[in-house]
Amino acid sequence: MRELPKQRHDDRSDATRLEPESFVSRRRMLAGTVATTAAAAVAPIAGAAYAAGPDVSSPQDMMAFLLLSAALAGVHVVNLAPEFSQDIKKDILDQDPGVDPINVKNDYFRWINAHDSTSSFGKLLQIAKDNRQSGINIIAAVNASDDSAKFLARSIVLLWYLGSWYEPADLKANAATPGTRAVTPSVVVSSKAYTQGLVWQIVGAHPMGYSNLQFGYWSRDPNDPNDAVQNSNFGVITATIP
Amino acid sequence: MTDNCIECDVAIIGSGFAGSLIAKELSQTPPIRGNRLRVVVLEAGAGVQPNINDYLKRFYTASIKVPESPYPPALTEPNGKLIGPANIAAGRPTSRTLSHSSWKDLKQAYLDQTDSKLPFKSTYERLAGGTSHWLGQTPRLVPHDFQMSMYRKDLPDWPINYKTLSPYYDKAEAELGVSGDVEEQSFCDISFSKGYTYPMPRIPPSVFDQDASNALAQLTADETNFLGMGKPVTALRLRSLPAARNSQPYRNRRACAGNTNCIPICPIQAKYDPTITLSEATNGGAKLIDHAVANEILVENNLVSGINFITYKGDAGPQTGTGCIKAKVYVIAANGIETPRLLLMSKNGGRTPNGVANSSDMVGRNLMDHPQYVTWGLLPPSSKPAYPYRGPLITSAIGDLCDGPFRATRAAFRVSFGNEGWNFVVGGGAFGADPHVTTLDFVNGMNSSRLNTRAVSQLASDNSALFGAGLAETLRDLISRQFRIAFACEQDPDPINRVTLSTVTDALNLPRPKIAYDISDYTKQGIVTAVRLKRLIFKKLGATKLDFTERAAGDPAGFDEKIDDQLEQLTYGGAGHVMGTYRMGDPKTSVVDSWQRSHDHQNLYLVGSGTFPTVGTANPTLTLSALALRTAENIVAFFKSHA
Repeated sequence: MRELPKQRHDDRSDATRLEPESFVSRRRMLAGTVATTAAAAVAPIAGAAYAAGPDVSSPQDMMAFLLLSAALAGVHVVNLAPEFSQDIKKDILDQDPGVDPINVKNDYFRWINAHDSTSSFGKLLQIAKDNRQSGINIIAAVNASDDSAKFLARSIVLLWYLGSWYEPADLKANAATPGTRAVTPSVVVSSKAYTQGLVWQIVGAHPMGYSNLQFGYWSRDPNDPNDAVQNSNFGVITATIP
Repeated sequence: MTDNCIECDVAIIGSGFAGSLIAKELSQTPPIRGNRLRVVVLEAGAGVQPNINDYLKRFYTASIKVPESPYPPALTEPNGKLIGPANIAAGRPTSRTLSHSSWKDLKQAYLDQTDSKLPFKSTYERLAGGTSHWLGQTPRLVPHDFQMSMYRKDLPDWPINYKTLSPYYDKAEAELGVSGDVEEQSFCDISFSKGYTYPMPRIPPSVFDQDASNALAQLTADETNFLGMGKPVTALRLRSLPAARNSQPYRNRRACAGNTNCIPICPIQAKYDPTITLSEATNGGAKLIDHAVANEILVENNLVSGINFITYKGDAGPQTGTGCIKAKVYVIAANGIETPRLLLMSKNGGRTPNGVANSSDMVGRNLMDHPQYVTWGLLPPSSKPAYPYRGPLITSAIGDLCDGPFRATRAAFRVSFGNEGWNFVVGGGAFGADPHVTTLDFVNGMNSSRLNTRAVSQLASDNSALFGAGLAETLRDLISRQFRIAFACEQDPDPINRVTLSTVTDALNLPRPKIAYDISDYTKQGIVTAVRLKRLIFKKLGATKLDFTERAAGDPAGFDEKIDDQLEQLTYGGAGHVMGTYRMGDPKTSVVDSWQRSHDHQNLYLVGSGTFPTVGTANPTLTLSALALRTAENIVAFFKSHA
């Protein structure tokens, strides 16, 4: 991909894809950094919010939700919460998630709280809190967790990517045989959710039927200098949080 | 018929392209002997909405986004259960009822296709504006499309030729607002009036159009010999498609912003739809009556004397009353299935047992579409990505292969290059649409897209289930390489493919349309040649091993053909082009003349693509619009000569 050199993006979380030698070195270097940070961050976290259930009005729970979502989706927190700006002097959980005019993060938090039939949302938020310095560690902890948490995590990624809700139980059923070809039912959460789907931005496009671009953009590559900066997908993908 | 009928000069049944254009032309005609023409339009479905917000919301929140998604009547109850066609007042065929389990199920499908060998796969809407969900492409037919007997003696010629229709094409292009380029459209003997330019400059080609153009710029005559063009073909040129889509502000509508959603709804109305013309007609004095289903055309002394209709409330009824309309001239503009249905329902107490306008027995016969062979693949990792899901759904096509001596033995086709990736093709459509299907595959370790293999994804394992940047990078890489190419084939007329009346009814107790349909060997051979051309194009794109074209299990349109000693599993899609069912020609073998006036009844016009004797390969809307404008002229002349 000549136009989207991988070097322009942050590292990927899994070491599975064949990469140029220089890129592998960079990943190892990053992984090392992450390990050190994670070790330093091992400290007991108050579990009060977990016990009481996730609370959309708790800034700590919202920050944990954003960290979890950013890690699982592989995007920056600011792509999920456009008004978030990091204060590096404070613990990430004590920061202000911000309020933006669209605020889809609050819709999603509430939706998950209301639709989580696995009762694992609190557990996932706790994983995010415990591993808040490392997206890679969040992913590892989710993958090491039980099926209820793992499939809810997949529902959450799909929600951010597509604006649609896939029931964790349906995902689990269709994942039972790897490589299954099957219809998986889903519902569109709202018009807003559809138009905020991240996958379109990740692939350099826009939700079908919802574009802020101008006449003729399609005859140029994404991220052409003639197109507005806010529509650029450069820097969306990242393995590091926040 | 009751005594208190609506009285007017011209009654128009249907408010789609043809009906709206005629309504506008007549309502804006200067007074004839001091009187303006009084025009009344009956629409079976919902009226013109104050804005399109409700339609957009329906689209955004639809979990299955198909052509009918934005438009009423609702397809399902709030709990997701399908609403059966017996419970809808003005029903219509939908893409959701074309699966192997639904297409012949009369409880699910509006059309009774129990007699079809292969499914008629096109759908339509019934609401003000008619075909608002159209793609917006407006190529002209080529001159030989009007004279198919030169290739096959058994095919009818049109009673009108390209040269006669050409000024009406000009007029239709102005009315619809077409962006195009005269030089680019001058192929296959198409000529334009002297000094003609399209109303707006052409729509620029997409990134993939440009890449495909480069890949097909140099070919050898040997490579393309199979096309049977009768001359060497050493390049295939992608031409920007003319489209009723603004390339600059036009008649108070914005320029296209590339929302990639022409079908089913343009969120900014940069694509023309007939509600625009319809509103101009009603502003000019025409009266639109919605939720009014015409159910009988009355005939006295060989002239139409009135039309009865049923009114209803809501999406599904109930019936609220009946009415009648009396006019001097009647225009039926209800599309290629609903028009013959109405003609056949009109039995006048047994005086017209075969229906109205049917002395030729051709009403409802020769149903045609442009069966589409659709293919999809990935560009190789070494190529620049196609960058799909950007721009209008289609911006370029190969038109030059639509005419030649091969038409003696096989159907012609046009080749369109999609800008919507695998949105409607992934997995043969069996598992949903992309980008959803591919995203779900890589989140949940599934493989509906067939992309989740090591060979394709270059990941460490098959059936990967990913989180994080690895997921995002994989999706970006694979989805930005998706492309789709479709071959829309000509279908030849066959009287056996026909619309009749079913024994099953809708919520107004009117018989639903019954369809008998099949695809001829002539059309299948067109698809066979399309397969060969697909192989060549994929090869030139470096995508031979990245061809994901497949026929979904149980596809009712499936048929097999031997190509180079290999049995290929083939299928086709509908183009939404409902044509041929009340064709024009001579009185013995056709229903209307070149003015689209009934041979049997002097004051009855039947308009729309049902009048096409043969269908060429161009999208029919521009041609039916040009014919409608010519008909409007004829109606005005009628009033001028009949005081």
